[in-house]
Order: sequence, then C-alpha cells, then structure tokens
Amino acid sequence: MIPLQHFLVLSGVLFSLGIYGVLARRHAVLILMSVELMLQAVNINMIAFAVYFDPEAFVGLIFAIFIITIAAAEVGLALAIVLRIFRNRATANVDEVNIMKW
Amino acid sequence: MELGMEQAWLLPAITGGTFAFLLLFGKYLPRGGDFLAVGAGVATFVVFLFILTDLLDVPRESLPIGKGWDWVSFEGLEIRLGFEVDEITIVMLAVVTFVGSLIVLYSTGYMRGDPRYGWFFTVLMLFITSMLTLVLADNLLLLYAAWEGVGICSFLLIGFWHERRSAAEAAKKAFITTRIGDVGLLIGIILFWRATGTFDISEIIEAAEHGEGLLGDGTYLTLATLLLFAGAAGKSAQFPLHVWLPDAMEGPTPVSALIHAATMVVAGVYLVSRMMPVFAAADPIALDVVTALGFITVFISAAIGLVQTDIKRVVAYSTINSLGLMFIALGSLSVTAAMLYLLTHGFFKALLFMASGSVIHATEEQEVSKLGGLIKKMPITGWTFAIGALAMAGLAPLSGYWAKDEILVALEHEQNIILLALASFSVFITAIYMGRIFYLAFLGEPRDHHVHDRAHESPPVMTMPLVVLTALTLVSGFIVFSGVGEALGFDGGFGEFVYFEEPEVFHFDWIIGIGSLIAVIAGLAAVPYFWGGTGERAHAVAQQFPWAYKLVKNKFYMDEIYQVFLDRVVFVLSGILAWFDRNVVNDTGVDGSAMITRLAGYRAKFVQTGQLPNYAFAIAFGVIMLAVIAFAVEF
Amino acid sequence: MTIEEVIFYVLATGAGLGGVGVVLSRNVVYSALALILSLMSVAGIFILLSAEFLALVQILVYGGAVTIIILFAMMLTRVRDMPRAMNGPQWPLAAAVASVFMAVSTIAAVSSQWPGDTENPTVIPLRTLGDSLFRQWSVPFEVASLVLVVALIGAIVLAGREEGE
Repeated sequence: MIPLQHFLVLSGVLFSLGIYGVLARRHAVLILMSVELMLQAVNINMIAFAVYFDPEAFVGLIFAIFIITIAAAEVGLALAIVLRIFRNRATANVDEVNIMKW
Repeated sequence: MELGMEQAWLLPAITGGTFAFLLLFGKYLPRGGDFLAVGAGVATFVVFLFILTDLLDVPRESLPIGKGWDWVSFEGLEIRLGFEVDEITIVMLAVVTFVGSLIVLYSTGYMRGDPRYGWFFTVLMLFITSMLTLVLADNLLLLYAAWEGVGICSFLLIGFWHERRSAAEAAKKAFITTRIGDVGLLIGIILFWRATGTFDISEIIEAAEHGEGLLGDGTYLTLATLLLFAGAAGKSAQFPLHVWLPDAMEGPTPVSALIHAATMVVAGVYLVSRMMPVFAAADPIALDVVTALGFITVFISAAIGLVQTDIKRVVAYSTINSLGLMFIALGSLSVTAAMLYLLTHGFFKALLFMASGSVIHATEEQEVSKLGGLIKKMPITGWTFAIGALAMAGLAPLSGYWAKDEILVALEHEQNIILLALASFSVFITAIYMGRIFYLAFLGEPRDHHVHDRAHESPPVMTMPLVVLTALTLVSGFIVFSGVGEALGFDGGFGEFVYFEEPEVFHFDWIIGIGSLIAVIAGLAAVPYFWGGTGERAHAVAQQFPWAYKLVKNKFYMDEIYQVFLDRVVFVLSGILAWFDRNVVNDTGVDGSAMITRLAGYRAKFVQTGQLPNYAFAIAFGVIMLAVIAFAVEF
Repeated sequence: MTIEEVIFYVLATGAGLGGVGVVLSRNVVYSALALILSLMSVAGIFILLSAEFLALVQILVYGGAVTIIILFAMMLTRVRDMPRAMNGPQWPLAAAVASVFMAVSTIAAVSSQWPGDTENPTVIPLRTLGDSLFRQWSVPFEVASLVLVVALIGAIVLAGREEGE
C-alpha cells in the first residue's frame, strides 16, 4: 500500500499553495478559493492519520466531516460579506479595502 | 491565664484596641468615648501591677523576660517582633501607665467642651500604645517604629489646635527637629544591624561587649553609638536640638504633661539607659559627648528659664534642664541616678504641668505678668504647684532632692570636682527660677484684676490627679532607701534594683547632700529679694548687664541662627534640588520618556497599513516561523 | 509500482496542478475550474484512503455547492472588469513564506519517526463510521447543523438588499 508520508507531502504542497494564494491574490473570491485549498490539505492530513494510526476511534475522519460542514458555512458567509463589500465600495480587491488602520 | 511578664504585649494591645475602636466608632459614643480611654488607662496600670509582681518573683539573672514572634523571615534576614520586660522597662512602665492614666483622667476635665474632644482621646490612646511599644520592644526595629509613632502623636497633639498658626508651626518644628535626630538613630540602628546581623537589643549588647565582628572596631562602634545618641538627643530635647520643646507648649496642657514631660521626651534617656553597655564599650568620647551636651543643655535651659514670663514655658525649660541632668547622670554611667530622676521627674513634672494647666484653665492666661496672688483663689492648685516646684528645685526631703543627690554622687564618683561644682551651681539657678515662677504666679498682689476675678479652683477631676501626684512627689524619693524598697517587696533600695554593672547601695554623702541643700535654699531665698514688691531689683540686674539679658531673653538666638541657616543653606540647597527635580527628573526623565513613547507610537502607527494582505502575511509569517523553530528544536 | 501507487500519483498530480492553477491562473474562471479539478482529485485521494463516504461528501458539497457559489460570486462582483494585475505587490514575500513552509512540512513528514505502522492503512467500514457519527458524535453533529443554519441566515441577511437600496 501507499506509505503515509506520500499523503503528508501532498497535503503540505497543497497547503503551501493555499498560503501563497491567500497572501498574493488581490481578489477576495480568489483568496477564498485558496482558503478552500488549505482546508483540503488539512482534510487529507486528518483522514490519513485516522486510517493509519487511529482505526478504533477515527477521530480524524469525524473531524474531516465537520471541517467540510464548517467550510461550507464559511464559504456561504464569506461570499456574502464579499458581496456586501462590493456593493458598498464597488470593489472586491482586498488591497483597496484599507480602512483597518490608524 | 497567669498575668505576668510574658503577657506584657497586653499593654499596647489594650490601648491599641481602644485607639482603633475610638477611631472607628468614637463619634457615635457619648462623650466621644472618653470613658473608654480612661478605662484603658486604668487597665494598663492594673496589668502593670501584675507584671511588677511577677518581676519581683523571678531571679534577676533571668531578666529580661518576654515573648516574641517571627516578624520577617527571609533567607539571611530574620526579624523577631517581641515585647520583653526588665527593670529599666518596669520603671518606664510605671511612669507611662500611672501618669498616663492620671492625665487621661485629668484631660476629661481640661478638654471639656473642645470641638475635637473625642479625637484628643483617640490620639492620646495611640500615643500611649506607641510609648508602651517603645519601652517594651526587644529589638531596635520595633523600637524605631514606636519611636516614630510617638513622634507622630506628638506632632498631632502639639498641633491639636491647628487653627492657631503658632500651634501648626510648633507642631512642624517639633516634628522636623526631632526628625534630624531620628535620621541619626536610624543610621545607627542600620550600622548595628550591619555589624551584627540582628536587631535584637540583647544580642547587640552582647556583641558590643565582646567586640564581635565590626563592633570590635572602636571607631565603628563609637560612630554607631553616637548616632544612636543623636536620636536620643533629638527626642529628649538636648542642645542643639532642644528648640522644639518650648514651642511644643502650644499643645493642650495634658499633652505637655504626658508627652513633653513625663514620657516621650524621656524616651532618649530610656534608650541610652537600655544601650548603656554599648556606650560603655565604645570609646569614652561617646559618654563624654553625652555629659558635655547634658551640661550645655542644663545651663542654657536654666538661664532661659530665669527670664521667661510664660508659666508653661518656664516649666518647659525646667524639663529641658531635667533632661540635661539625666544625660549628665548617664554620662557618668549611672543608670540608677538617671532612672530614679526619670521616675520622680515623671511625677513632679507632670504635676507642675497639670497645675499650670489648672491655672490656664481657670484664668485663660499664662503670662505671669497678669497673674499673681492666685493661691487664695486656687489653694489646691497653688499648694500642689508649690510642692512640685520645690521638688524640681531639689529641696529635701522631696523626691527631686534624692534623685538629684544621686546624680551629684555619680558625678563625684566618675568625673571631677569641677563638673560637680558646675552641677551644684545649676541646682542653685534651678531653685531660683522655679521659686520665681511660683512667687510671681501665686504669691504677691494680683497684677490683673480681671484675670484675678475670673480665677476659680478647677473641678475635682482635675485637682484629684494633682493631689495624687503631689503625694507621690512627696514620697517617691524615699525608694532610694533599702528599708523602703524592702518594705515594698524589692530586694533593696532603687540602686539595688536598677543599676549598670554593680548594684549601688544607697549611702548618703553628707558634704554633697548638705551642699546641694544649701544651694537650693540660697536660690529660693534669693527669689523674694529680687522679685519682691514690683521686682525692681531683678530689673536692676537686667539693666546692669543689658547684653547678657538680651542674649538670654532671646534664647541665645538659637531660633534665629537656625532660621538663617535654613534660609541661607537649606533653602538654597533645596532650591538646587528642586531645580534638578523639575528640569532633570521631571522634564527630561519623566516627560522625556513619555515624549519618546509618544513619538515612537506616532511613527510606529504607520506599520498598520490597513491592507488585509499585509496582516495576513504577518500572521502567516509568525506561524511559519514558529513551525521552523519547532522544527529546528525537534531535529 | 503497484496499481494503487499509479493511481495516487495521477491523483496527486491532478490535485497539485489544480492548486497551482488556482493560485497562478490569470483568468479567474480558469482558477475556478482548476479548483474543481483539485477538489475532485482530492476526492479520489479520499477513496484511496478508503474513506468513500468523505469522497462522496466532497464531491457533493464542493463539486456541487461551493463551486457554484464561487462562480456566482464572481459573476456578481464582476471579476472580469478587474485590472489585469491579479496579484498584490507582496507576492514575492508570499512565495518565500510558502516555499519555506513547503520545505519544512515536507522534511518534517519524511524524516519524522511516526508512532505506528505507516505502510498499511486500516479500512474503516461505512457502517462503523455512521454508527459513531450518530451515537458518539451526535451532539456535535447537531451543533454543526445549527452552525450551518445560522451561517445561512447570516449570509442571507448580509447579502440581501436593504430597504431603500
């Protein structure tokens, strides 16, 4: 079978891509998509650990289910916020929304 | 529970509790709770009697006995808090509890109708608590705390009528002047602690006697001892720190009687007596300083007493005079003489103050130029004052005579004939001015008829303590005799009870005894001669030596000299310090650092770009650095 | 090389390429499509880990709902009108941080001493999973549903038109 490390490395790669996307992208929707990538990476980790190390309780598996649930809620809410910002300020570019300062 | 020396802590506990109660609830009590204060005073006296009985039962070698608790316990710093009793303490306790109780009682009459009647008793209780702690303390740190405690009470009570500017000024003067000595005392205590690592009085005495460690260094020991004496000199109004005591007469008369005659001002005498082995172990110069200052004080105060016209101030100068005598005794290593004088002085000086207080209460006048002939109007006050004055003058067989005699004998033993002659001469002057003040106030013709008509005898609550103190003034001197001491349950006379190194069995030196008696009688006889009639002979003497009269009348210009010193030196120095404080400490140090913070914040706020990606980057950077650190630690 | 390994590498390549497409594509619609590719590959990975239920949920929730919502959001925020510069000015920093993390996580995954058998995964039956989810985890499950409801109501309130708008 495939060793655990393969999944972990894949997860790390996806997570790094997500970090890059979150930090580099300007558009709020693209940032959200990068966040989804990061969540996928976490899910892979959770499930991999559950099936390799924790077959009795498989907490990781259960957590993955909840992560997907919460991610769905998050996407819905976040996109609503993006819409709201777009309607108020006519842009969805995060670097143009800069009122969070002195 | 058996009441005894181990329960000595009860004494300050009783008055301390009363103080706290009066402070919190005094204003809800009828009469400001004065009955509680009187009760507490009587209770301390009763406890004192139990302690005295207990003390007489145990062998002398086991003294001091007391009880202590751990106060501070650190590695390398162990301080115990303890109360203990020995024979010197017992004498002080006798004065504090007995005279204290009488004066609290007397105050209920004297202070009647004062708007701060209750507050007076509250502070009085705090004073007695501090004073009891001072005499019972078994370590110098607790003693110092109590020392400052009595100082604060003195400040509060001198300034009791602080609406009067002179009273407020006098309170400040007393506090600051004694503080000069107190700084010395504190430094002295620190020096002893540095040398021995303990504050315990017995251990310090032992270390000094054996010359252990730093105390083996004669200069160090002498310096520490002299600093200790500086505190004693300040508290006991010795030259050159005596200037506060006459001004302290601005306080209510019971305060003058209790604090500035019987108890607080003798704290210095007590301290030196307690530490006498240390003084003896130090270089002889320490005791010479004590003697010399004692003599200077005696003559200055006696000279000023001759020309003062305020009845209370004369008594105040006589107190300074007496304190000087006590230090002369201590300078001659005679704890016996000093403590005997302290005990009898506590009685007759309190009596003198309370009698003059009775006069002031009745006539609202304290200038003798407006008094005169009062003895017919106020017989009890007059006769008790007469006995007090004679005791102060040192007329046999009153208590003052025996105490003064002990001092003269000690001088003869330890010092030379010149000092003995000087001391005898001071006795002569004392007799003159004590006789003079009595003569002017109570005898002769009334000088001011309004005042004379107003005069009346004081209420029994005030005259009763006078009578009790008069009785003690008459008899307390006899305790020097072995027979009297044994009859009272002691081993022998006073000299066999309180002594330094060797018990002193009383023996009467006829030459000194008769000599001093002649000096006293001569002094008293001179009074009618000089001040009889309109007092023109005294005036003539003053006319003869105008510069001397002016010098004495102005108290040797001590206050003026201090004022010049203050204006020219202290205020200039403090001006410099104030400038330094304002410009360097405040403007540069405090405001400067505040400015730096503000400027830094003003610049640093631009770190907050408001750009969400920057914030996200900061978070990610932090998290990943943490991961890197964890990784580096792990592998 | 076993058949499983072949499948894994194919799926992993799909997921990675999809991820790269999401973060690097200059066209937002391509980004969205790359995201779908990535998500579906991850669903395949789940199946490889014998978590079929999770794979189904993944396809339903992400492949269906999330992607549709994202596309809708793009449409509503007129992404196409955006200026050409898709990346912010701090992208080099982002790249550096991401590379450091990738290096650290890879080295950590490979060189760690894992406390157990890293070769043979255990198959967790769907029945066992369901049993556990609805017995042992029933309360968190219900709470999660509550969170979903609240989030949806919140989203509606936020995105809905206000009066007078």
